[in-house]
Amino acid sequence: MTMQTINATRRDFLKGSGALSFALLATGGVAVLPSAAEAQPLPDGKVNAWVTITPDNRVTIMFGSAEMGQGVSTSLPMIVAEELDADWSMVASQQVSTDPEGVYGNPMAGGILFAAGSSSIEGYFTYLRQAGAQARQILIQIAAAHWAVPAEEVTTRSGTLHHDPSGSSMTYGEVAALPEPAWPSGEMADATLKPRTDWTIIGTDVERLDIPAKTTGATEYSIDVDLPNMVHAALLLPPVEGEIPTLTSDTAARAIDGVVDVIVMDHAVAVLARNFPAALAGRDALDVSWTETSPYRHANSEDELIALSGAVDDMSADAVVWESRGDGQVDFTGANVFTGNYTTEHVYHAQMEPLNAVASVDADGMGAEIWLGTQSQTASIMIAAAVLGTTPDRIRFHAMQMGGAFGRRTVFAREQMRDALLLSRASGRPVKVVWTREDDVKNGWLRPATVHRLDAVLDAEGCPTALRHRVASPSIFQFAMPDRWNPETRLDLLVMEGAESSDYAFGTFQAEHVLVPRQSRLSAWRGIGWAPNCFARECFLDELAERTGSDPVSYRRRLLAGSPRALAVLDAAVEMSDFGNAPEGRAHGLAFAGYKKTLATGVAEVSYEDGQLRVHRFWTAIDPGIVIHPQAYRAQVEGGILFGLSSVLRERSTFSGGRIDQSNFYDYEPIRISEIPEMEVQFVDSGEPPSGGGEIGVPMTAPAIANAVRKLTGAAQRHLPFPGRA
Amino acid sequence: MVTLNVNGRTFEVDATPDTPLLWALRDDLKLKGTRFGCGAGMCGACTVHIDGQATFSCQMTIGDAEGSEITTIEGLSADGTHVVQQAWITEQVPQCGYCQSGQIMRAAALLAHNPQPSRQEIVDEMSANLCRCGTYTRIIRAIERAAQEG
Ligand code: FES
Ligand code: FES
Repeated sequence: MTMQTINATRRDFLKGSGALSFALLATGGVAVLPSAAEAQPLPDGKVNAWVTITPDNRVTIMFGSAEMGQGVSTSLPMIVAEELDADWSMVASQQVSTDPEGVYGNPMAGGILFAAGSSSIEGYFTYLRQAGAQARQILIQIAAAHWAVPAEEVTTRSGTLHHDPSGSSMTYGEVAALPEPAWPSGEMADATLKPRTDWTIIGTDVERLDIPAKTTGATEYSIDVDLPNMVHAALLLPPVEGEIPTLTSDTAARAIDGVVDVIVMDHAVAVLARNFPAALAGRDALDVSWTETSPYRHANSEDELIALSGAVDDMSADAVVWESRGDGQVDFTGANVFTGNYTTEHVYHAQMEPLNAVASVDADGMGAEIWLGTQSQTASIMIAAAVLGTTPDRIRFHAMQMGGAFGRRTVFAREQMRDALLLSRASGRPVKVVWTREDDVKNGWLRPATVHRLDAVLDAEGCPTALRHRVASPSIFQFAMPDRWNPETRLDLLVMEGAESSDYAFGTFQAEHVLVPRQSRLSAWRGIGWAPNCFARECFLDELAERTGSDPVSYRRRLLAGSPRALAVLDAAVEMSDFGNAPEGRAHGLAFAGYKKTLATGVAEVSYEDGQLRVHRFWTAIDPGIVIHPQAYRAQVEGGILFGLSSVLRERSTFSGGRIDQSNFYDYEPIRISEIPEMEVQFVDSGEPPSGGGEIGVPMTAPAIANAVRKLTGAAQRHLPFPGRA
Repeated sequence: MVTLNVNGRTFEVDATPDTPLLWALRDDLKLKGTRFGCGAGMCGACTVHIDGQATFSCQMTIGDAEGSEITTIEGLSADGTHVVQQAWITEQVPQCGYCQSGQIMRAAALLAHNPQPSRQEIVDEMSANLCRCGTYTRIIRAIERAAQEG
């Protein structure tokens, strides 16, 4: 620890004004910024002022992960404020848009700005605690110097520094008002963290900072950005991926009042107009023909399902081993082998804000200002620089709040930003590209269809001595992140994660991926690989239990005996739901399904009323480690359960001739308020570090419902969505 | 030129009468709190009040809206203190927030016509609005709270 001690006088104190800002350093340390005016500004004109305290005691904390509804604009600053010992009622937070110094990135995502896979809290937890504690230690040093007392005698309590022996105290705001020479210039590299028993912010349900603006309409998404001289763009996109347009006539389009320009791009024809309705009318009036050379014009989702089913059963098909435990050589052909095949169809994200982007390219064409809702600012900036053939420092980026994302706005999918940049460069004006809902549905990057085959060799008591989980599907990773795809190992975590079933002791175990060529564009969807993989496994285990005359709980308890955390969530869910004692005419179904280190068990209570599946109640017990904001976490779980239920009821994207068949919410309809169950979420506190909550609601839900339906009707449910329900 | 009465003020909008009200509100009057979700009357993100009735603004032209009193989320209260907005904060309803202007406008219209709705009446009315984040449970709770406190 290296800190200068500077004596400050009362006179200096009175002279002081302005703000005290702390910078995060690439070394992991924290230092006082000399002053906002002197500090080196970032390309967007901001300085790296990670935490800023003003004389009115306000504390502003920057956060790296982008806000898309999961609550990181509150929960990440809570971690900082806890160790800083700030007065939470004075805290505001601000989104980080750019990170040229590489200090705001998610440590779990290689240090880039990236919010996906429930990784924000898990990734930032320790980093932000340390940084917050270091900033607090600097405040202590300043106060100690100011009072000319030993730093060890200075304490903090909720935004105030105290020297109890002398009875002195001052608020953080008063420290900020001290003149700058009183501020140390050294770097604080370590500090003691608070013990959990001293926490007053983490684990509490403070009001989310983003919510008031969301009740008045004031929240600004990228679709709301308005710039002087801006034009609105509607794009005529290829009916089939990869086709190239030929413009036959744009006379009618240009005749429409408000249409400013028609621009033919490699992959689309854009109509620029003074307002969006005029752009849409212009698009409708275009006369465009398309090449008919795309290999995807024969793509058909029904054929793909048949191909996947064939591949999963074809034991000579090349399979990539994802996980292998125990003795790999098992004969899965004997009489004591039980087999089950499970299918999940393509699903679409349906985030409520249609994809869009705003860009204003500089006069020299080599720089731009961009407004975008993205799950990765870092990746978006890199892509923008590549589109313009420039360097990232020329990109002035604004990370906007997202009207939902669910995997659709991760590193891969940035077509709207690319198009806004190209159109702005071509037209010399700021451009807003907005996809209609139809564009969004028809150009979806879908979660791929998967077919699973599970084989188990059972012992005399019906327990698996060996289990194999084969997944046939195209690779999301290969399509969506080709530059990071390893053609040697061909490991696709976006499809396969969760299939390792690491809490279960199955004796010999193997999970393997049969890669089948893609027929649609692909991306991860909330729950990622865990949702399809846990669906298949948890349905299969329930069927095995039934077949061997065991009940679903004790059957799983035996297999999970080596994982105390798994048993704890299983037992808690059984207890809270009074599992197995459903009211007359209803049944309970259960599933144990984790997401990475977060473990959970879900129980569904279902009935058929008038031939209709109805999920009445859903209970879940979850061990997510430490919970930062329980209320926001519950909201994530509830949202995840409804995603899972929606995928059971009817969510399905299909395509024929390379065209997605659905158009809008009338034929791709996410779950509505009339279809929701009562939900109860209980935490099981293992005291482990936090492990995320965005996905965990999804994987358990479909299998719990399927198992309940099987119990009620006797018919195994092995297909998502359930047949006859789309 | 179409004359619109929005949030108690009169505006001249330089657009053809067949322009959807949604886009006139957003792009001409710069009232961005009314959201575009589907443009097809399927999601309710664009819900406003037309003479007190919850209406999909994407499904109404400005020609048809002329002469009516239009209220958007920005005009529901001067300072965000409408009983429904307050209940929305107390119950911490929003996640991404994108659907919430529409949800709040529909809930406010419901309570204006039916101050003590049953749970079934709440569900029936709110079924017009989608929320992909899945805030439905809290929407019901917030409407029940607003009914009590209103
Ligand atoms: S945008 Fe009007 S109902 Fe969806
Ligand atoms: S809060 Fe995100 S769609 Fe409703």
